[in-house]
Amino acid sequence: MRVFSIAALVLTVATTAAVAQTAQQWPREFPPRPLQARAMAFPPFEVKTLANGLTVVVVSQNEQPAISMRMIVRAGSAQDPKGKLGLAMLTAALLDQGAGARSAQQLAEEVDFMGAALGSGAGTDLSFINTVVMKDDYLNGLGIMADVARRPTFVPAEIERQRQQALSALKVAAEDPESVADLVVERLIFGFHPYGMPGSGTADTIRGLTRDDFVAFHRQHFVPNNALLAVVGDITSADALRGIEQHFGDWARGTVPPFTPVDPPQPTRRVIVIDRPDAVQTEIRVGHLGIPRKHADFEAVSQSVKILGGEGGNRLQGVLRSSRQLTYGASADLNTYKWSGAIIAQTNTQTPNTVEALRLIVDEFARLQREKVSDNELEAAQAYAVGSYPLSIETPDQLATQVLNMLFYELPVDNLPKFRERIEGVSPEEIQRIARWFIRPDQLSVVLVGNASAFVDRLKGAGFPLVERVPIGRLDLLSADFLKP
Amino acid sequence: MTRRWRWRVVLATVIGLATGVLAAAARPPKFAYQRVTLPNGLVAILHQDRSTPIVNIQLWYHVGSKDERPGRTGFAHFFEHLMFKGSRNVEPEQHTSIIASVGGQANAYTTEDTTVFWQTVPSQYLPLALWMEADRLATLRIDQDTFVREREVVKEERRMRIENQPYGRLNEIIYEQAFTTHPYRHPVIGSMDDLNAATLEDVRDFYATYYVPSNVTVVIAGDFDVAEAEGLVRQYLGRVPKAERAVPRDIPREPAQKAEKRVVVAENVPLPAVVVAHHITYDGHPDAYPLHIAAKVLSDGQSSRIYQRLVYQSGLALTAFGQANLIEHPNLFYAAAIVNPGQSPEAVEKALIAELDRIKAEGVSPRELQRSKNQFARDYILGRETVQQKATHLAHAEVLHADITTADGEFDIFQNITQADVKRVAGTYFTPQSRVVIHIMPKGGLQ
Repeated sequence: MRVFSIAALVLTVATTAAVAQTAQQWPREFPPRPLQARAMAFPPFEVKTLANGLTVVVVSQNEQPAISMRMIVRAGSAQDPKGKLGLAMLTAALLDQGAGARSAQQLAEEVDFMGAALGSGAGTDLSFINTVVMKDDYLNGLGIMADVARRPTFVPAEIERQRQQALSALKVAAEDPESVADLVVERLIFGFHPYGMPGSGTADTIRGLTRDDFVAFHRQHFVPNNALLAVVGDITSADALRGIEQHFGDWARGTVPPFTPVDPPQPTRRVIVIDRPDAVQTEIRVGHLGIPRKHADFEAVSQSVKILGGEGGNRLQGVLRSSRQLTYGASADLNTYKWSGAIIAQTNTQTPNTVEALRLIVDEFARLQREKVSDNELEAAQAYAVGSYPLSIETPDQLATQVLNMLFYELPVDNLPKFRERIEGVSPEEIQRIARWFIRPDQLSVVLVGNASAFVDRLKGAGFPLVERVPIGRLDLLSADFLKP
Repeated sequence: MTRRWRWRVVLATVIGLATGVLAAAARPPKFAYQRVTLPNGLVAILHQDRSTPIVNIQLWYHVGSKDERPGRTGFAHFFEHLMFKGSRNVEPEQHTSIIASVGGQANAYTTEDTTVFWQTVPSQYLPLALWMEADRLATLRIDQDTFVREREVVKEERRMRIENQPYGRLNEIIYEQAFTTHPYRHPVIGSMDDLNAATLEDVRDFYATYYVPSNVTVVIAGDFDVAEAEGLVRQYLGRVPKAERAVPRDIPREPAQKAEKRVVVAENVPLPAVVVAHHITYDGHPDAYPLHIAAKVLSDGQSSRIYQRLVYQSGLALTAFGQANLIEHPNLFYAAAIVNPGQSPEAVEKALIAELDRIKAEGVSPRELQRSKNQFARDYILGRETVQQKATHLAHAEVLHADITTADGEFDIFQNITQADVKRVAGTYFTPQSRVVIHIMPKGGLQ
């Protein structure tokens, strides 16, 4: 079946001149048949919970003499208290700037000398600490990781250093059109829900954070019953677990404060133009509210978004790049978080093409909702998803990340090896049913970051009568009208 | 094990043993591969790895932006785009969709020295991938309409990557200041004026000159039977006719720089940036390896010298790094920093130069040297996890070093570098007359 559909794609009449001589002798032919498919054994992994509630994943694989360790803590920027935006991000940045008996410089020196790597950060729903060591340094690396996760010292001088770096980074990000477009569209879609707030804070909130804030955030959230740890690589599961018991077995449980966010607001269908008069391109974002990761229709929704703008499908790329040459790249992403989610399409195009590109994106949302996806298109998207799955778990680290994700979102890990059934279980009818309620062209929020005066007048004629214009220097994500007073 | 190794480090330092005996913690497995040259000149390298039922196929065309003539820049990269525009048996834009429809991924990239096309597919589709690659190597469709339309996509790519990003022009500025003659002077994406001026004949000529079997190395890494894979390479790529003329390699050399260059430019940047660059040697030259070590001592990790001095201790910079850009022809070592608000570019420049001078005057400590080797071992191991990474290392050794044994051999070369080597290369290259200093200031002045 697959071979025939490929043949249909390739064997049409060549009308244009290739390099003449070679082409004349070169055969016209069907693509070759595939070889015998090789079976994929799903790599083994183990999941365990320690007495203190720490969830542990072990993937043992000895191809390369390295071990990677990943910890996830179930608190991210969504848990930033009101008025303290950036707290999760800065707390995570401070974890390796002094921990246990080691100063920031001692930690750096020790990690670098081992030829290891250590990094920490915060996302929307979670914070993470990643460490990679060569296999002989497993216990050393785990010891450092335990200090960083459990015993950060939050030294005042380090806090000031990280604060200054965060403020400088905000200054750079404020002039980066991609970053600005992403922040504004999330704020538009999620409103003042925690998911709409900037995780890297604002200059004011970053300046206001105190050492007590970091200590409190760490104490509340960095407890074993709120964390997951994966150990992956050239080590037996018994040795991995022995080390984990040694370094994390006596980590005391804690009481995690309940998190009960309000629902995101009703869609407002606003069009915000962030004016950057010297821009040569416009960054375009178009999106609306979506679903949380745990939603029962996740697989079907995910496939419909891939047809719109993802790998293995991507109508947006076809229309905007291949047919019209309006952009280098266009895509749509389904961002699913713990409590909610969003679908966001994005592209960039030279200033004069802004309105046309926007119009085409909105049309594709409407078409997906209106028309049934063809069997061929869905089959191709699913074939891609099934066939490329082994690529996504090629390294033990990739596999561990997938297991951690399932555990983090409280999804059954036993389903991981059933990827084929999961993907192929979605029919065109199912996609259409999903698209009817999920895809909402009438609820789209639009963000355009570019040279406003070159295109705002034409937005009305294209069906966007209400446009709010914000000079980039006056952007304020925390005000209702996005304007600094 | 770990403790004993540490002891040996200390001991070696005290009694001055050659550092070569200090093996890093773990030596990664060596590559096993087969190298085949076909009658048409194409080289194939096969590396079997049966851990996952996938296969990565890469074709390295030994043509990059340095092969472009003045007035015709951007061709190599433009060809990377055109190669997706259809050939005798494959319709325009279908290469990627066909690979995707069997569950594979495909893409391409262009550098100063090479143009690389790759795909990773479930292993049973190896014949399909080789068949499509041969098709576009032999019979690419090049017509006026495609050419004109795809040029618009490249223009958007340039706007996106370079013109619309803060610091997007940084690389371009460094190279147009540092080089006068060698084509490394122009950016890989090229000049849009040149692309506008190009004719269909220019494009066809470029294809006929560089897209020939003797200019291609194919590397296949993954789950396959070696004899079967070799047969498929011969069957599909072997039938591409041999080129009638040799690939030209008459690339102008860069004359030695005689005196320090200093430049201040105004750009659309939120904070100033400072670059201190030195002309150095090429990838694979014996001096290249100690230069990489110098770069690691200067800026790999938070304990590195530049990070400590400019970011951690003084807060002069938001970010700072030093890097040896070692590629096929002599290129640059550069140290660069983004200047924090309230700090001066002059102070940042002074600190960067002081760190380069310190390596020249004092060299690196035994512990720094060992640290860099351990970090190198880490990069080496973590950089060879996927079949795509493995294929890339093999291709790089074959095409850019013209010596495939370096794909493994570099590990030992690095582990054998001495303190004296690092000091010597710093003395050779970090000279005032080879220096280029660039200050990139925000348009409209500091806020």
